[in-house]
Amino acid sequence: MVTSSNFQSTTAPMDSSATTTGRPAPKASAAAPAPGIGRTLIDIDHVDFYYGAKQALFDVNVKLEEKRVTAFIGPSGCGKSTLLRCLNRMNDLIDGTAIRKGSIKIRDVDIYGRDVDPIELRKRVGMVFQKSNPFPKSIYENIAYGLRIQGRNKKSDLDEVVEKSLRGAALWDEVKDRLHESGLGLSGGQQQRLCIARTIAVSPEVILMDEPCSALDPIATAKVEELIHELKKEFTIIIVTHSMQQAARCSDKTAFFYMGQLIEYDDTKKIFMNPSNPQTEAYVSGRFG
Amino acid sequence: MSSANSDTAPASPGTFLIQKERTRFFGLTLDECIKTFFGGNAVVAVVVLGLITLFLFREGADFFGQNRESLRVYRQAGLEYVDIMRETERDHTALTRYLFDIRLQALKALTADGLSVAEANAKLAAFDDFSYAYGDAVLNVRGLVSDLTEAASAIKTKANVADDRRIERDQYLAAGMTAEAAAVTVEDVDFATEVKAITGTLPFYKDELTNFGTELERVVTELPVLPVPEVQPRLERFRQLTRQYVAGFPDNVERLENWDQFAPVPLSRSFTSFIFGTQWLTASFWQDWYGVVPLFVGSLMVSTIALFIAVPLGVGAAVYVNQIASPREQRFIKPFIEFISAIPSVVLGFFGIAMLGTALRAMSQWEAMSWVPGFPFAERLNALTAGCLLAVIAVPTIFTLAEDAINNVPRAFKEASFALGASRLQTILRIIVPASLSGIVSAVLLGLGRVIGETMVVLLCAGNRIAIPDFTEGLAAFMQPVHTMTGIIAQEMGEVVRGSIHYRALFVVGLLLFFIALTINFLAQKIVRKYRISVG
Ligand SMILES: Nc1ncnc2c1ncn2[C@@H]1O[C@H](COP(=O)(O)OP(=O)(O)OP(=O)(O)O)[C@@H](O)[C@H]1O
Ligand SMILES: [Mg+2]
Repeated sequence: MVTSSNFQSTTAPMDSSATTTGRPAPKASAAAPAPGIGRTLIDIDHVDFYYGAKQALFDVNVKLEEKRVTAFIGPSGCGKSTLLRCLNRMNDLIDGTAIRKGSIKIRDVDIYGRDVDPIELRKRVGMVFQKSNPFPKSIYENIAYGLRIQGRNKKSDLDEVVEKSLRGAALWDEVKDRLHESGLGLSGGQQQRLCIARTIAVSPEVILMDEPCSALDPIATAKVEELIHELKKEFTIIIVTHSMQQAARCSDKTAFFYMGQLIEYDDTKKIFMNPSNPQTEAYVSGRFG
Repeated sequence: MSSANSDTAPASPGTFLIQKERTRFFGLTLDECIKTFFGGNAVVAVVVLGLITLFLFREGADFFGQNRESLRVYRQAGLEYVDIMRETERDHTALTRYLFDIRLQALKALTADGLSVAEANAKLAAFDDFSYAYGDAVLNVRGLVSDLTEAASAIKTKANVADDRRIERDQYLAAGMTAEAAAVTVEDVDFATEVKAITGTLPFYKDELTNFGTELERVVTELPVLPVPEVQPRLERFRQLTRQYVAGFPDNVERLENWDQFAPVPLSRSFTSFIFGTQWLTASFWQDWYGVVPLFVGSLMVSTIALFIAVPLGVGAAVYVNQIASPREQRFIKPFIEFISAIPSVVLGFFGIAMLGTALRAMSQWEAMSWVPGFPFAERLNALTAGCLLAVIAVPTIFTLAEDAINNVPRAFKEASFALGASRLQTILRIIVPASLSGIVSAVLLGLGRVIGETMVVLLCAGNRIAIPDFTEGLAAFMQPVHTMTGIIAQEMGEVVRGSIHYRALFVVGLLLFFIALTINFLAQKIVRKYRISVG
């Protein structure tokens, strides 16, 4: 098993305290408390979600905390991605989807409210996809894109953000000499970190990650996990994963879903060591799913 | 085959059953039959294409030899010489037209000031005297050129008659009818002596030219004063042009003096006179010209208009259907646009003649539309009418292929863009369209190929005037009637004598079209292939 501290050197630290977060444990962040940490940021309140006539989420009720990593786990088809995509209203792109009951609030604002602009919402709630999907543009333009669409075209401004984001995604050293080459020419792991860099470039508050490592090899996975540790100082992260180890390594809180229902939500440690629900127990110990 | 029997024999239990069963037709296995069938189809397609190309080449290739011969007679019979003289007269005509234009402008200004036409004309009397004097100056030169024209064309006719006789005699000889052959008298034309009668007039022509020059100089020394001061500078300009024109006379004379009746006509000349020739003139009593430029320009203009309209429509519709429309709209719009391509082009052409041409002309005469360059126009059938209809033909092609290209853009790009907070428009303009650009470009190219090759619509609606439109009028050139490469073939092929130079010229136009279409398709394919590699 590769320990993440081995990659400390390749990861550009975002602040000096980074060396203390070598090991993934909820306590690591408690050592250097960030403002707002642990406060409820996202309040998912008894949500029923439908794809047309088909119900995919049943009365999901959970409060997600600020500046923490929350993992969504559960067997395939249980609605993890669906819930994640509710949080930045990506489901709006699919016809016939709707939350029929309940509400989702971020900082006490109902994000499905009448006067909420989903475009503004998505600037605040970024998303990284399962399959890395850089645009067929240069590395530089991939990251500048999020700023350009906001009308920020000043070169010095862009240069600064591009460098900061690439450093933040631990990619700067690897690509700084080829910023103007195509983003599609990077390796899978680099592409995924490029997508993360692209997401943090617009400085969101929340980053949603839908199985970000499922297409990556163990070394690239370790790099991304390392990165998640760095990122949670600044961002609230919600990650969907099929890997129990990954959930255990990276997250502070874990939510277990089954058949569209939230079965259990608690500290990651508790979920893995001592779950209160027998279904959770069965799943984390690998007896089903 | 002895082994065939053992193969098909039921295997005894316990054998390892992996052998193929071999049913044979004409000694071929089923696989081989299928392969032969599809391979055969491919071969037929290739052979047919080859035959068509070969046929076009065979029928067209002789054109260049025949054209060279025609150019040789043009020179030896003195037609070229007379045409050099005629240039003087032609340039004078252009200058008189300039005068007309000045008069028209002055007249407009005067009537705009509230004068009646009669009063305005009266005010322009002095100018009219001037322009009559200017016009009459050319009469002597014109008379000479016209006499020589007749002389030269008589020589050419003689040569043609001699040629026909020779062919007749050769045919008799080939058929073994010696007596009849001997009865055919061939009067060989001695070009050198015959043309002397023409070149002998050079001293006389020189005198006439000198007189003509002094007369023009005299006429323009004293310019009439126009009742409209704004137009006066144009008259000054006219004087300047006239002086330039007169100063060019010695050049003209020099060219006549250096003219060599028996200078050989290189084969390349025959080629360039086709590719760069600005006249397509057939069945003329003087000289036939096969210059493809007016037809090419016509085709190009009509296609330009068509693409100008069809590209925004086709690509716009493709973007809309693929990115914005609801599934219900998609189900409705897509077949509808594709249905357009089922309309026979002759029906479209008919619609163009009966409706669109008239409607466009009526529209061009509206007061509110007069700001459009070229409006109002008088010709009902022109490049614009044909271009609009061709656009209708190009839209389905462009739409279908562009929609395909857009559809091939991975959905992940779109999602990523939305997830970064881009609006739908931003996503379309900055991600979807750039990512599918090469596909869209090749869609446009294939649309162009479709339009360039279209015949019926242009034949019916382009106005069929074989002339390069007057581009000095700017965009108004697009409201003039044109003729096209496809149109000319369809129109003239039925009337020409098989094997004649005209017949072959049409084949060469066909060849040219064929190559244009080939190039366009090739480019389109290349672009698409490059695009596939880049997205991976
Ligand atoms: N676009 C859609 N239209 C209709 N039903 C859908 C759609 N997307 C997902 N579903 C259904 O919703 C349910 C939840 O799907 P979801 O993608 O959220 O599962 P998941 O937990 O992310 O699974 P996985 O781990 O395989 O990604 C599934 O039953 C799925 O079939
Ligand atoms: Mg999923």
